[in-house]
Parts: sequence; structure tokens; C-alpha cells
Amino acid sequence: MSGPNEDNNTQLSSHIFGDLLDSIIVDVASECHRIAKLGLDRNLEEEEEEMRLSAQARARVADPSNSSETNTKYVVDIFGQTHPSVATEIFECMNCGRSIAAGRFAPHLEKCMGKVIPISSYHISICLYLSIMIDSYYDREFCAIP
Amino acid sequence: MSHSHKLVIKRSSMSRPPPPPPTTNKDQQHQNPSLQEINIKLIQSGEKERLKELLRERLLECGWIDEMKALCRAFTRKKGRNNVTVDDLVHVISPKGRASVPNSMKAELLQRIRAFLASTAD
Repeated sequence: MSGPNEDNNTQLSSHIFGDLLDSIIVDVASECHRIAKLGLDRNLEEEEEEMRLSAQARARVADPSNSSETNTKYVVDIFGQTHPSVATEIFECMNCGRSIAAGRFAPHLEKCMGKVIPISSYHISICLYLSIMIDSYYDREFCAIP
Repeated sequence: MSHSHKLVIKRSSMSRPPPPPPTTNKDQQHQNPSLQEINIKLIQSGEKERLKELLRERLLECGWIDEMKALCRAFTRKKGRNNVTVDDLVHVISPKGRASVPNSMKAELLQRIRAFLASTAD
């Protein structure tokens, strides 16, 4: 093979390799982004929960008027319902019947489904349905073009 | 998994970061068939997808992907998961990611790519 051709091939190959690697990097970043936004990283969830509770506690201690409404992220609406900072849509878990906020649904399902012993096609369809819903929620909330 | 394929398709039409600037000299553009032509052949033959899967598998085996995910988690922990963007994470893992690919792995892929280029040379 002639010299210049070999050099070109080498450069081309490197470039193509770089493209492939970059593409995988984007995939990994996207997956981690999705996990972060959907609250699927349980360690992170627990950490955040602890930080939030301790920040609340500190605020309560520090504030002389001790008004809990202004110091928490929870707002009480006119129906007396609280709206946490995670997504407010409530779903009923088909598995255990509990009401779960959308933002907490994915981690709940992880734990909840683990307790089911028989796997029926009903459960499988529910899982599929839910993962489609979670995906579309993720797309709507975090992928919409501003 | 279907999820990651869906994400890839979406991502490539949206906020995908610009490709790295070409590191080669300008002569290359005069001498060889365009990179675009090669890319088209790669995609149409399905080789690009096969190469990507091979690379992904190797990177998974050697723990590279776990390492990148750990970097993402650490960054997310600092910045807060509500503030993190995909661009953030790409910029966090790109330098380390590109630098830490094992040489043997890179060589294997490069060899396969070169073989493909040779097979398509007219």
C-alpha cells in the first residue's frame, strides 16, 4: 500500500473511532441524566432526603417565629393537600395499592415489585405500561426544547 | 435496551454537543474520499452499529462505563440532580473518558475500522 493512503486511513480510522467513543459518551451521559432526573439513584435519594430534613430542622431551630410553612418546600393548598418538590402527579401502585407521587414512582416500583412472587402477564403489561409512562414523563419534563 | 436507543435518536437531533474539531491537517480533505462518504458506507452496511456495540461491550467489560457513571453521580451530587443537564455530564466525562480507553481496545477497534476502509476502497 502506498504511503499517503496509509496515513489517510490511519487518520480516518482515528476520527471514526473518536466519533464512536463520543457517541458512547453521550449515551452514558444521557442514561445518567435520566437516572438522576427520575430519582432512580437510591443512594442519592437518601442523601438528598437527609440533607433536606437536616436543613429543615436547622431552619426550624433558627427561626424564632417557627412558622413551618415558610421554611419547608411543602406548600399546603386550599384543599389541604401538600405538594412536594418532586412531581405532583399521583399514581396508585398496581402492585401494593399505595398512592405514590410520580417523582417517587420509579424507586418505589423497584422495591415494591421485588416482593411479588408470581409473575403474571398482568404484571408484565403493567411494567411495560409504566415504563412507557415514565419515559414520556421524562421526555416531557426534561427533554422538551425550551 | 430500547430505552437507550430511543434516547440516542432523540439526543442526536437535539442538544448533542458539537463533534470535536478535526485534529488532522487540511491536506486530508484534498487527498482522500470524504469522511462523509465513509460514514455513509459505515452506516448503510451496518458496520457502524456493530463497531459501536463492540466498543460498548469492551468498555463495559473493563469497567470504563462504571467509572464514567461514578463521575456522573459525583457531579450530580454536587450540582444537585434538578440542575444537571446532559451537556454538563458530557463535559464532565469526555476528557477522562477519551483519555482512559485502554490501548489494546483502541488498537482492536482501529484495526477493524482499517479493515473496513480497505474493503470499501475502490
